[in-house]
Amino acid sequence: MNDLLAEFLRGYTANNQWAIIMPEIMLAVLALGLLGAEMVLPKKSHGLIPRLALWGQLFVLVVAMTAGSYIGFESKSYFSGMIYQTDITQFMRGFFLVCSILVCYLGHIYLSKQQLPKTEFYHLVIIISAAMMLLVQSSNFVMLFVALETVTVAFYVLVAYCRSSSLSLEAGLKYLVMGALSSSILLFGIVLLYGVAGNPELAFNSQDALNFDELRNFIALNSDNLLVRVGALLVIAGICFKIGAVPFQIWVPDVYQGSPTPVTAYLAVASKAAGFIVLLQLVTGPFMGLQGLLVPVLSFVAAATILFGNFAAVTQRNVKRLMGLSGIAHAGYILVGVIAAMRGVAWAPYAVIFYLVTYLLASFAVFGVMTHLAGSDDANQELDDYENLARKRPFLGGILACGLGSLAGIPPLGGFIGKLFLFVAAFQAELFGLLGISVLGVVISIYYYFGWVRECYFGNASDEVIHDVKAPFNMSDRVLLGALVVGTVIIGIVPAALPIIP
Amino acid sequence: MLDILFYVFAAIVLVSALLMVVSPNAVNGAMCMIVSFVGTAALFVLLEAYFLAILQVLVYAGAVMVLFLFIIMLLDVDKSEGSYFKDKLTLGAAIIGFALVAILVCSAFAGANHLPEPGLMPVLENPTGEGVGIPFTTSSKSFGYSLFSKYMLPFQVTGFLLLAAMIGVIVVSKKHEENS
Repeated sequence: MNDLLAEFLRGYTANNQWAIIMPEIMLAVLALGLLGAEMVLPKKSHGLIPRLALWGQLFVLVVAMTAGSYIGFESKSYFSGMIYQTDITQFMRGFFLVCSILVCYLGHIYLSKQQLPKTEFYHLVIIISAAMMLLVQSSNFVMLFVALETVTVAFYVLVAYCRSSSLSLEAGLKYLVMGALSSSILLFGIVLLYGVAGNPELAFNSQDALNFDELRNFIALNSDNLLVRVGALLVIAGICFKIGAVPFQIWVPDVYQGSPTPVTAYLAVASKAAGFIVLLQLVTGPFMGLQGLLVPVLSFVAAATILFGNFAAVTQRNVKRLMGLSGIAHAGYILVGVIAAMRGVAWAPYAVIFYLVTYLLASFAVFGVMTHLAGSDDANQELDDYENLARKRPFLGGILACGLGSLAGIPPLGGFIGKLFLFVAAFQAELFGLLGISVLGVVISIYYYFGWVRECYFGNASDEVIHDVKAPFNMSDRVLLGALVVGTVIIGIVPAALPIIP
Repeated sequence: MLDILFYVFAAIVLVSALLMVVSPNAVNGAMCMIVSFVGTAALFVLLEAYFLAILQVLVYAGAVMVLFLFIIMLLDVDKSEGSYFKDKLTLGAAIIGFALVAILVCSAFAGANHLPEPGLMPVLENPTGEGVGIPFTTSSKSFGYSLFSKYMLPFQVTGFLLLAAMIGVIVVSKKHEENS
């Protein structure tokens, strides 16, 4: 290797600062450590592993929060353009960590009722969390695709984790086929963009055509090129698969129903959030020049998503399918925020994040209750199983009512404020049609969410207690679920408690 | 000469890819796929990308397809359930999809807004910049240079991708014994 070459390669590696992705590295080490611990520890002390996973992640969360503060964070690019850190990505790191901690906790409850391998669950959850953190920070399509595939492949496994249940295996297979299809669509779009942006005959062509910055310059100048448009549309379609937007929502109900409840929660909250942040970065970054094309397309998708999700959820009796379909509707509301960001409302991305946080708190409260109430077969939880819940388990009933109320957007809960911010952003972006459809969607959603609450509180007053699987319900469960609800209420009353909106 | 070879191999790739899709027998389909992969490798050779050509044959035509054939044989896929295209919906979807691709190709290479004519460009001696940089080669060495400098992080993440896949296969396929 000659000196010139060594000098050149050193230029590439100059900003490979591994310290800035310390939380991700620590998570990876933790995940590997769990597998090692299972090998080394004697069988009877395997109970330590979930604790190790939980406390380890809490430690990483503390490190991540103290190392990089969120407010006033200076955006910077690392790893020769692979990683681009902004205040949003800093915040999302914490978001994903909180998600994976909650999923590990719920997973612990779930696994205690099942005859399933345990350590691998935590391992995969932590790997997914680290990969999602890298995913939202990536500013190069290579990095984006690799991180996205890591997330998706690990999710294939988690969805099919309950291998004794045919529904779980079916869900795993469906997710595998649909995920592979969506990845190939995304990849095809990336390849088209790469090909056309590397064409030396076109203005602003680039040798590094996968980099978001280079692509933005290129697309801004060549926005009416057909291949650019097709490529961008295919990329957006691939992302829409991940967030479950209409017309790519077909996999959502089956997969949400079949997968273990903690995994459903993870899919519903973290995976969707990652998809939205990536979408947000794409449409406000490289695809900024394609506004004229993407705003109408995404508006149509958002309207269809809101209407489909809400109307399909109305007749649903299975609670996991209901959460899935209503999750589609929530994806529609968030898409409205993304469109507002695209139309130049500067604080709209923060409104999206705020909504994601309220969605996290409320969803995990609901999924937490579902995990507690589920028996060994948790795919078939019907609304009827929740009859008189408030009378039998008043605490869980209250948590459920608060979570569902927040999802429906009832003041003074957090979901109301989240929706309010999104709608104000949409108003400022002059998206009046979408605003009307969103409000209609919210009204419909109140109907089915409160159908569930009514089932809990005002079911047929019968004294018989039907197959009540008493999961051990200890103090930490109460504290955790209580904290989620308290968080929801505090955000609802004092939105400034969550200093996201600048 | 090069032109003729290109058209021959391109035709082989396209025809075998089409046969793979319409073939009612899964094993035949896999065989057509191998032909298509080898044709792609030949196209890479024409572009003087020898390393890619070798990888294409070794990894895709070799390892991946052997796996496919194994699975087809293990699952004992039924010979034929008739053509897929008897279903009207599938047929309609296929026709619409094909028409869209045709429109895309036509408008990309002909018409008012078409792309610049494809042609052989002179190979840049030093595409990474003036003075310094990696001399343009297609050997495996140059792949290694960028893989371990610029693309170091994605490369490492790929390791975890494979690990997750491996653990996943074990978890889903192995019978769990609870000895508590």
